[in-house]
Amino acid sequence: MVPSLDCFPEELLRSILCYCPPCSTAALEQTARRFRGVTTEPLLWRFYCLSHFKHWAQEHELPEKLAGPISAVDWKSLYISRHLTYRATCHLLDNILANQTGRIDKIRRVIGFGYDAKDALLHNLEVDCEAEDYLARRYYAEALLTCLHRSLAVREWARLRNGEEVSLDRALGAFDLFIPRSNFGSLEEISNELDSIASLMSLNYPGIQQLASRDKARAIAKFLRANNLTGIDAEKEYHCLEHNFLGIALNDPQHNSLPLISATIYCSIARRVGLDARPCGFPFHVHVIVMPPIGHDVDGNAVEVGTQGSPIYMDPFRSERETPVTDLEYQLNFLGATAVEQANFLGESRPSEIVLRCSKNIMNSVQHMAQFPNRRLEPVDVVGAKYAAIWSSMLLSDLARPTEIRHNLLWLMELLATEFPSDIHLVEQYVTPLLRGMPEYEHILESLHVMRAVDEIPKQVKRRFSQRTKIKYQVGQVFRHRRYDYQAIITGWDTECGAGEQWMRRMGIDRLQGGRHQSFYHVLVEDKSVRYVAEENIELMNPEFSDLPPTLVAVAGKHFKKWDEETRTFVSNIKDEYPED
Amino acid sequence: MAASGNLLTFVSADNVHIEVERDVAERSLLIKNMLEDLGEATEDIPIPNVNEPVLRKVIEWCRHHKNDPPASTEDEDSRRKTTDIDEWDQKFTQVDQEMLFEIILAANYLDIKGLLDVGCKTVANMIKGKSPEEIRKTFNIQNDFTPEEEDQIRRENEWAEDR
Repeated sequence: MVPSLDCFPEELLRSILCYCPPCSTAALEQTARRFRGVTTEPLLWRFYCLSHFKHWAQEHELPEKLAGPISAVDWKSLYISRHLTYRATCHLLDNILANQTGRIDKIRRVIGFGYDAKDALLHNLEVDCEAEDYLARRYYAEALLTCLHRSLAVREWARLRNGEEVSLDRALGAFDLFIPRSNFGSLEEISNELDSIASLMSLNYPGIQQLASRDKARAIAKFLRANNLTGIDAEKEYHCLEHNFLGIALNDPQHNSLPLISATIYCSIARRVGLDARPCGFPFHVHVIVMPPIGHDVDGNAVEVGTQGSPIYMDPFRSERETPVTDLEYQLNFLGATAVEQANFLGESRPSEIVLRCSKNIMNSVQHMAQFPNRRLEPVDVVGAKYAAIWSSMLLSDLARPTEIRHNLLWLMELLATEFPSDIHLVEQYVTPLLRGMPEYEHILESLHVMRAVDEIPKQVKRRFSQRTKIKYQVGQVFRHRRYDYQAIITGWDTECGAGEQWMRRMGIDRLQGGRHQSFYHVLVEDKSVRYVAEENIELMNPEFSDLPPTLVAVAGKHFKKWDEETRTFVSNIKDEYPED
Repeated sequence: MAASGNLLTFVSADNVHIEVERDVAERSLLIKNMLEDLGEATEDIPIPNVNEPVLRKVIEWCRHHKNDPPASTEDEDSRRKTTDIDEWDQKFTQVDQEMLFEIILAANYLDIKGLLDVGCKTVANMIKGKSPEEIRKTFNIQNDFTPEEEDQIRRENEWAEDR
């Protein structure tokens, strides 16, 4: 008998299908009855799901699905839905790259896919330099990805605001999602990190679950201190920005963190081994308050039904020992706290209060950056950190304190316009509703409306030949500013100065040799700023790609597809606006 | 013809005797385990399911790959499997379809994981990127669906059609 594919045993067909792209498996299914069974096996499609998609939105409950029986899940349908999302994400990104108009809505739709969009974005982010639009593709894939991470953080804080239960590690981990270099993209990833620390501890202390509260509290502190998971190394600067982030502290080999973060790590591990530990709102230095279970005291003795013994206090940042409450009371007396205040300071802090406190700490660190040089975070992260602090404060501040809101709002809108324009839908969804009834409400609506209008109205086409005056330079050329010496790329032009009278007067435009009636250029500067430059101040550079400042290359993708080594210019991705440049 | 020293003798299904070095033969887990059970092999080893030309191809593959590191224990994990095939193996699998399938069946029977993988990848590459009709043509598959069934299955799999 001549062997053919029809008569292959199922196990061999299965091995072959593992090497087939799922689309081809679907094609084989359609050829003959013989293949229907093996091409639709749940196990095969489960394999496809896991091998093709690494990042899963929490809503899928993938860990639960994987733990359950295979037949309980329609793996093929799941694969198909992920496949379609993947394709839609790529399609939307292509559209964003192809056209400057309507980007806000396309971004909103990608973010709407949640964490499922991440695989497609990562693949686009990793596109190699051969791709004809690699700079733009990487730029917008990154913009979308970071926006996606932030959207997950903001959603969590909004839940807190709505009074939903949010665990401490999720509430604090949300800050890390604003910091691309923290390497965390979802709150589950941070929780998993804590899970593995907790299981490591259970391995080391097999009997820990059975211990009474006090012994358990000590064991946890001892374990965390022994593994250097809390506190700050002696030579480190306390206020350093990076010490404010839960994820960064967990990932860093030295695990340096402020008391607030150390306490968060402690409480999160405690919760995982069945100990009721919460952050305590002690001033200047967050402690941990440990409560015995109802009906017991901290040493495990029974107490009157329905009551519980007194709490104990821990300071995992500083020590593995308990902090006697008398010490804390002494300090509070010294500070002059009233009895009511004392009760407050020694009581539990809710996650939303801890988030606000972390937000203040971050602002404090940002403001003292110059004094406390930071080791790991790069400049982009400082902006991200500040942005995170503003968002959390915006969402969780007491609305009865409008000055704070107003203050935050100014900063938020400024960063939105300059650094994070892709977040406009997040502002619309989460911030504007909070402001209803405040004088700022109309003002914000107006700003957002203008941003939307700019996004939705097609760009006015600017053609070179129709201009009477000659425009010397072209979009994509790199130059050095004759007076200020910075390097920049030309991103647009006007035949004469198009800025307002006031700006011209302030900038002394009429004192220029060519005055206001020379060509003016919109430019993208190496420090990421956008400026407007007179033709006479432009000195073309004709650089090689390797000579360009990395920061300039990093932002070039906003308007350019790639670098052309032959002409030594960036290739325009804004042909809809400047078709002849 | 009895085997001597490091040489073993395979006897193919069509009763042809083929000498093969022991380290080459041991690429087959079936043979390797058998030899371990037997200790010294002094008898001819019958390979009842494989005829001579196929067996010679299989031995050729094993000889070329005799120094490969042992196959990693079944990675049943979720990594996407690469369909890259190295140059020598690509040439090796440039045979007619009948021979290719015979080699795969032999590799399966003799438990030669590396060769089985190469064979499966080659078939997967032949399926890749083709429409159902093209797949039928390539492998001479008879369409036994009713038009209604075919239509329904096509609709179920519309998602897989290219953009």
